[in-house]
Amino acid sequence: MKQDHEQDSTQGSRDDSVITLKGVTKKFGGKTVLDNVSLGIQKGRTTVVIGPSGCGKTVLIKHLIVLLRPSSGEVYYRDRRIDNLDEHELNKVRTHYGFLFQGGALFDSLSVTENIIFPIRQHCEIQDWTQVEDLVRSKLAMVGLDGFQNYFPANLSGGQRKRVALARAIALNPEVILYDEPTTGLDPIHSDVISELILKLQRELGVTSVVVTHDMTMAYKAANRIIMLHNGKIIADGDAKHIRNHPHPTVQQFINGQASEDELAVLRMKGTVSQAQFLPRDFK
Amino acid sequence: MIGVLGAGTVGAVNNIGRFARFVWQSTIASFRSCLNPHTYSLIWTQMYIIGVRSVPVVMITGAFVGMTLAVQAYDQLAGMGLEEHLGVLINISVVKELGPVLAAVMLAGRIGGALTAELGTMNVTEQIDAVRSMGTDPIRYLAAPRVLACLLLTPFLIIFADLMGIIGGYFVSVVTLGINSRAYWSFSASGVELWDVAIGVIKGFFFGVALASISCYKGFTCKEGARGVGQACTEAFVSSFISILALDFALAVIFKSIYNTFWPLKSLV
Repeated sequence: MKQDHEQDSTQGSRDDSVITLKGVTKKFGGKTVLDNVSLGIQKGRTTVVIGPSGCGKTVLIKHLIVLLRPSSGEVYYRDRRIDNLDEHELNKVRTHYGFLFQGGALFDSLSVTENIIFPIRQHCEIQDWTQVEDLVRSKLAMVGLDGFQNYFPANLSGGQRKRVALARAIALNPEVILYDEPTTGLDPIHSDVISELILKLQRELGVTSVVVTHDMTMAYKAANRIIMLHNGKIIADGDAKHIRNHPHPTVQQFINGQASEDELAVLRMKGTVSQAQFLPRDFK
Repeated sequence: MIGVLGAGTVGAVNNIGRFARFVWQSTIASFRSCLNPHTYSLIWTQMYIIGVRSVPVVMITGAFVGMTLAVQAYDQLAGMGLEEHLGVLINISVVKELGPVLAAVMLAGRIGGALTAELGTMNVTEQIDAVRSMGTDPIRYLAAPRVLACLLLTPFLIIFADLMGIIGGYFVSVVTLGINSRAYWSFSASGVELWDVAIGVIKGFFFGVALASISCYKGFTCKEGARGVGQACTEAFVSSFISILALDFALAVIFKSIYNTFWPLKSLV
């Protein structure tokens, strides 16, 4: 474990890091969600953050774009410290990012086209609308949804929404794309489509990706580097092979999807599985 | 006990501070929006949703206020043989107090609830975070157009409410209760000044900003889940209602002082 931290801090100080966290701690009330995390996100690579639900993965990814500010520690984009910038300055930095939210976070009142051109309208002077239409078509084609321009989010399935959200995230050709649980709630086939999309974006646009997930199939497929977070700390950091052979029992338990003895002991307690203690109202 | 009281006080001060900061940011963003033609389409959209669609509800409110006042006041004035003065009582009450306040309360229910629910849902579904993640200030994009629309249109809606209140009062007084029409208007014209109408309309600017700011703030800060959104809507309405009444009192005092300063004798006549 100590070795992992050493490895982690070494990677955090590499020159090719696009985003760097230095000793980031985040507390909500009295609860520490991130505990002195140091991490460097390398350019052009896909970093996957895994960990059990509630371990601080989403909080970590939101710190990378400073949607959340650390209680202590520093966040750097390239060599510039960004966690202490005001919102106006931060907004300029954020144009280098794309963020795919867990539920897509598409704007309900806007059509697919309007959702995708939202960041373009906000940051670019549009001279030629045919160019914008072509851009929307190309982004939608990239995620396999050309022809859905006039649909509204309410008319799309969960997978389609995520793909439209991805098209919106790449509208400004960002340098970094952050994915928060991109495959949660999707069937295995659509999860694979999302994994392929992440790989395609890395291949074709050379983007730096950070993916938060607990989908190990996706992690193994898309990751150049896997980081495991547990109780707000990084407990493992390396490529897929390194993680597969990691000696830490929590890592092995997580990647193999096995419940611990403590967790199973709760189920073995008498009365945990209902013995019809509560009868239906119409039971006679 | 002291700990709970202290925590409550600190929480209240924090909330007031956060709200004051939100209002300040909204004000700055609104000024910038006024100077940026790119944001006009957002403001027009909100003006349609907030203003145009509220006209029927505000007019109905105004009409019933005028009619009810006529019915309630007639017996008392008739007992003193002053029923022809009913027009003054109804019209001055409508344009100065009841029209603006009840129209604003109606708007707080109709618009305030809708604004809080919309922004609250956007908040819990991470749409506001999505706006921020794309390098856009959500206060400028979401709150400023709504605040501006309420600021600009609440006075107009109050004029509609006043108009319907006057018509409603006239209908009940003259058509139903048989008061002489000429006398009704004559006393109204002598009793109601342009100043009275202006006070009601000026109040509309304050009420509009108050209800939009409170509703947007509650939407931006609402807690997770359906319960959080519901609670935010309730809090937005109650806070808007109280602030409208408080502002009405404060403005009444201020306008009375101004009036007495500029027309000290006239008020005694």
